[in-house]
Amino acid sequence: MTASTAPARPESEAAATSPWVERLRRVGRALALPAGSVVLAFLIGAVLIALAGGDPLASYEALACGGFGISCFGGETPALQISNTIEFITPLLMAGLAVGVAFRAGLFNIGVQGQLILGAIFATIVGLRLASLPGVILIPLLMLAGVVGGALWAGIVGVLKAFTGAHEVVTTIMLNYVAYNLLNYLLINGPMQAPNSSQISLPVGQNAQLPTLIPQEGLFFGQPGGAYHASIGIFIALAAAGVYAFLMRRTALGYEIRAVGQSQRAARYAGISVRRTIIVTMLISGAFAGLTGGLMIAGGSLHYLYADLKFDTTGFDAIAVSLLGQNVAIGVVLSAILFGALHAGGLVMQSDVQISSHIVEILQAVILFSLAANFLRSLKLRLPSLGREPAKPDGMEAAQAALQAEVGSTAAAEGDGRA
Amino acid sequence: MAILSQLLQVLVSGDFWQLALRDGALLALPALGGVLSERSGVTNIAMEGMMLTGAFFSVVAALSFHNPWMAVIVAMLAGGAMALIHAFISIRFRADQIISGFAINIAAVGLTTFLNAKLSNFRGLQQVDPSGRLPTINVPLLDNIPFLGQVFFQQNIIVYVSLALLAIANLVLFRTRLGLRLRAVGEHPEAADTAGINVYRLRYGAVIMSGLLSGLAGAFLAIGIANIFNDNMTSGRGYIALAAMIFGKWTPWGAFVACMIFGVGDALAASTGVINVPQYFLQMVPYVLALVVLAGLVGRSTPPAADGIPYTPGGE
Amino acid sequence: MSTEVRADRPAAPGGEAPYAIEMRHIRKAWPGVVANDDVNLTIRKGEIHALVGENGAGKSTLMNILYGLLKPDAGEILINGQHAHISGPRDAIVRGIGMVHQHFMLIPVFTVGENIVLGREPVENGDFYDRSEVDTRIRALSDEYGLHINPDARTGDLPVGLQQRVEILKVLYRGADILILDEPTGVLTPQETHDLFAVLRGLVRGGKTIIFITHKLKEVLEISDQVTVLRRGKVIGTVRTKDTNEEEIARMMVGREVLLRVDKAPAKPGAAALRVEHLTVNTEQGLPAVRDVSLELYAGEILGVAGVEGNGQSELVAALAGMLKPRSGRIWIGDRDVTEEGARHTRHAGLAHIPEDRRGAGLILSFSIAENTIFGHQRDAAFALRGMVLRLHEIYAWARRLIKQFDVRTPSEETPARALSGGNQQKVIVAREMATQPKVLLASQPTRGVDIGAIEFIHRRIVEQRDAGAAILLVSAELDEIRSLSDRIAVMYEGKIASIEPPDVPEERLGLLMTGGGGRQTHPAAS
Repeated sequence: MTASTAPARPESEAAATSPWVERLRRVGRALALPAGSVVLAFLIGAVLIALAGGDPLASYEALACGGFGISCFGGETPALQISNTIEFITPLLMAGLAVGVAFRAGLFNIGVQGQLILGAIFATIVGLRLASLPGVILIPLLMLAGVVGGALWAGIVGVLKAFTGAHEVVTTIMLNYVAYNLLNYLLINGPMQAPNSSQISLPVGQNAQLPTLIPQEGLFFGQPGGAYHASIGIFIALAAAGVYAFLMRRTALGYEIRAVGQSQRAARYAGISVRRTIIVTMLISGAFAGLTGGLMIAGGSLHYLYADLKFDTTGFDAIAVSLLGQNVAIGVVLSAILFGALHAGGLVMQSDVQISSHIVEILQAVILFSLAANFLRSLKLRLPSLGREPAKPDGMEAAQAALQAEVGSTAAAEGDGRA
Repeated sequence: MAILSQLLQVLVSGDFWQLALRDGALLALPALGGVLSERSGVTNIAMEGMMLTGAFFSVVAALSFHNPWMAVIVAMLAGGAMALIHAFISIRFRADQIISGFAINIAAVGLTTFLNAKLSNFRGLQQVDPSGRLPTINVPLLDNIPFLGQVFFQQNIIVYVSLALLAIANLVLFRTRLGLRLRAVGEHPEAADTAGINVYRLRYGAVIMSGLLSGLAGAFLAIGIANIFNDNMTSGRGYIALAAMIFGKWTPWGAFVACMIFGVGDALAASTGVINVPQYFLQMVPYVLALVVLAGLVGRSTPPAADGIPYTPGGE
Repeated sequence: MSTEVRADRPAAPGGEAPYAIEMRHIRKAWPGVVANDDVNLTIRKGEIHALVGENGAGKSTLMNILYGLLKPDAGEILINGQHAHISGPRDAIVRGIGMVHQHFMLIPVFTVGENIVLGREPVENGDFYDRSEVDTRIRALSDEYGLHINPDARTGDLPVGLQQRVEILKVLYRGADILILDEPTGVLTPQETHDLFAVLRGLVRGGKTIIFITHKLKEVLEISDQVTVLRRGKVIGTVRTKDTNEEEIARMMVGREVLLRVDKAPAKPGAAALRVEHLTVNTEQGLPAVRDVSLELYAGEILGVAGVEGNGQSELVAALAGMLKPRSGRIWIGDRDVTEEGARHTRHAGLAHIPEDRRGAGLILSFSIAENTIFGHQRDAAFALRGMVLRLHEIYAWARRLIKQFDVRTPSEETPARALSGGNQQKVIVAREMATQPKVLLASQPTRGVDIGAIEFIHRRIVEQRDAGAAILLVSAELDEIRSLSDRIAVMYEGKIASIEPPDVPEERLGLLMTGGGGRQTHPAAS
């Protein structure tokens, strides 16, 4: 193979731009939409807060305090706020990766919540049953149990999709409700309920708990160490993001997942088994989700299973995390940080200025709307002077194509329309 | 075999079928909304959120006006407003309709919990008193027929409304000019457009109808059944309606049959006292049913050809 | 799109306006492309006016503007001498303009009647669709123009020729005086084309005006009175058909003398590289498509497959490529039975495949060119360590080499395929499939929708592959392409190979074979 050094240079105007300029432009284009969406969400949020009789500026100050430990006026300890935020970031990042993998294959996994519940159940069982094992063995086993639980639950979806065409949006949601009821069964007067308590299991022992970032003994930044719950789980989540990036960009499997997500017809042309890829993708997605559940038990601040996990929204928030991050690892990390800060900050906002923390969900919905609608692109279309070729985020087109699987290839082919 | 005889005992009771029909008719409203929306070519998974919004605003209105009809109107308008957002984003901005629909559902949870906290000062809205509830109508004479009377003629007024709407929708969709055009827009919008039909107007109309119907269902749930608002009280019914729509092959009566299957599942879930199976396993029944039903379809249910594809006039 | 409807049709002008349509200084630009640049077009009443040009010359854009589907950036339109503001198809319809689109605007699940009356449905009792009235009106229309059809047939079940008849009836039902036909013969057999032309002549005799968009020069000469040629969004000229000839129009279309013939030496066929025995294939929907086909393809020859689209060619190619499982029969590449192998292993056995659906199957548009150059080979040892970890350095080097060898015009190998022109996208596929030096090359519609320069390039490469010893199966809807490239021509009709002919077979015979061996083919719905 002759490795030629100079790529062919066409005479067209495009030749004038070097690959580096093009790469920079692509990064800029990729950032514009998410950044614009976030700004828009905050603007709309401010209007809502004002309508609800609040002070948008003070609310956002409280939000920033709770999220990043800055601009605090309610006597909060900045370091403690950052620790809280990290505690929120960890599961959001893991679950965001779970959603992201599926998106890349054109699958919309709304079932991460159910999958992480299964992961948490499996992890808790292992943590309780094998409590006598030393931590170095027990913790990996517990995580593995979480992975298996999540992968099993998501695997059902993959198999149904691959062999019967049942749409994953519906099947994942149904499985969520089955998981909630399973959780209820186990914990409300059920086999896993701790004696003399209600709706919770026994906590897993010390051996099954991840070390915290800050020692539990002594004073740190004016607070006892025990107040800081952030664990080294964040590093596990970051490592998972690295695995995700490697899988997607550097492996043949990732290549095939992306190909299936873009066009199943093309994938078949290339000799890729669409069924197998869908199932494998759901297993990986479920594994990430199950690991999220494992991290909630081994890390976090509770270390036990509780029935109200069904009201937890991590699995749904993760969809916004993944989409805002454009389904790429670094993007998911950044948006997990943003949403982690929003969730942690929302609690401070609620206690400091009495604005319900549920405003965060509204912000999230606005971000999703503007990502989906790609308002920026629409602006560009109307201002041709700004317009280069409109960029399109991968996942949405993919999800669209997947939904139209029965209709045939025309959707994907026409979807990319005017370039 | 104790369970079988317990099951039999449940299946012959009028209470059970009365409940099943009530829940089936409840689900049929958002399912019908989905049928209309998707027949026009706009994928709609937002019935859950529109229903939840309707439920919340019906309670707010019922508490302020003490009049269920005002509450129903407010609920329908609220559902319709959410639908308008979905329509606007899907049609005008040609967004991914699944993501837009999902965002509606998230927004509905956020908005209703946010406002619930705001209006009740974090305590939760109070119960709706009888003056604000939707009435149950006993049809004179007919309600005395044994068994059938209880099932068919002692129902909440919305049950009758729901059945009537199904019949009307079926007639409109398959027998009228409006229905022909709506289906044309969902099958092949370019063909409809070149025939001089306003694609966008029909799509907006159909999506907004889905919001009105889902809002009505929300009101039925909140001020006809529960008489109180709880956060997230729709608990997936909008999604089950979506499954019913698919199972019913995008037709009103097909969707209703599927809704009845889920209604029976709901009624089973409510029979904990009689059937000796752990309560939470019984409550899984509707969801597992939905899974089994969907898995059993294996490519036999084809959506309208242009469902989910944004329309660009004169596009390439 | 405006919702405004102008219900009033402009009153007939004082005198007889000589022109049915005048389009003046029309301009329409997309970001980066000017589709119509100061275009002037004048159509006389009662003529058949051909609008010709290459793909992308702006013909369809211009007609979509006239029909109100697109808004021009500048310019004005006069219809029958009156200024017309057309903001949507409704305005065009009201002014007597009707359009038969290249891709039929028909709803397969609707009946013929529903399709024809859609948008102007007769109703009774308020809004109820009046089916008996629909039937009455359609039968009247059919009789008037001699276009017979059963209004209650399901449209999707009809053959293409009859579907086109439905399209024409649809336009006539709306009372159109001016008919725009966009590439109407692309999907028709020679016989169906002949019938269509008879219908068009009848319509003109009845006082209609016809605009006929095409890129087939023979048809221009046969049917039109005037020809307007577009090139790159501009009008090159309008000439009277009887004052011109094929060469002159071709020159106007491409701006230079074109090579209408491919230079090639006689084939030197070798051993059978591909053998097919009793192959039967169904479509993905389970309908029979290929019926008991047997053939041998020899190294060093090009076997052209002619036929009207939809006679099993696509499924034959898909089955050979391992994308579609045959119902019965066997396929050998060399001595290896690949019937059950699937696309990946069939490729390893020495088969390459240029697919008919470039953007939907041959490329992943969002992938970079480099990623696209290994599509189908992503687990080969050359590009992936142990078939798992991609060797990016090798992949990029490989991509650069193909870009150079096949003259792909692109800023870099990292550019997404979406950003390339159609011709360059096709070159990426051709490069990838030819670079593996395949034993068997399936080329399906290899030049569809690409510019003339790329067509010549691809034709040359196909002949080079043949001369290097590859066995080539060429499927094309363009009879000229088949006839100029092939060493043997197989004609497919209803899933069977009707005959294998030499390359110099008269076109009339091909046409006959493509329609089932002569005689008019009548469909039950046509009476």
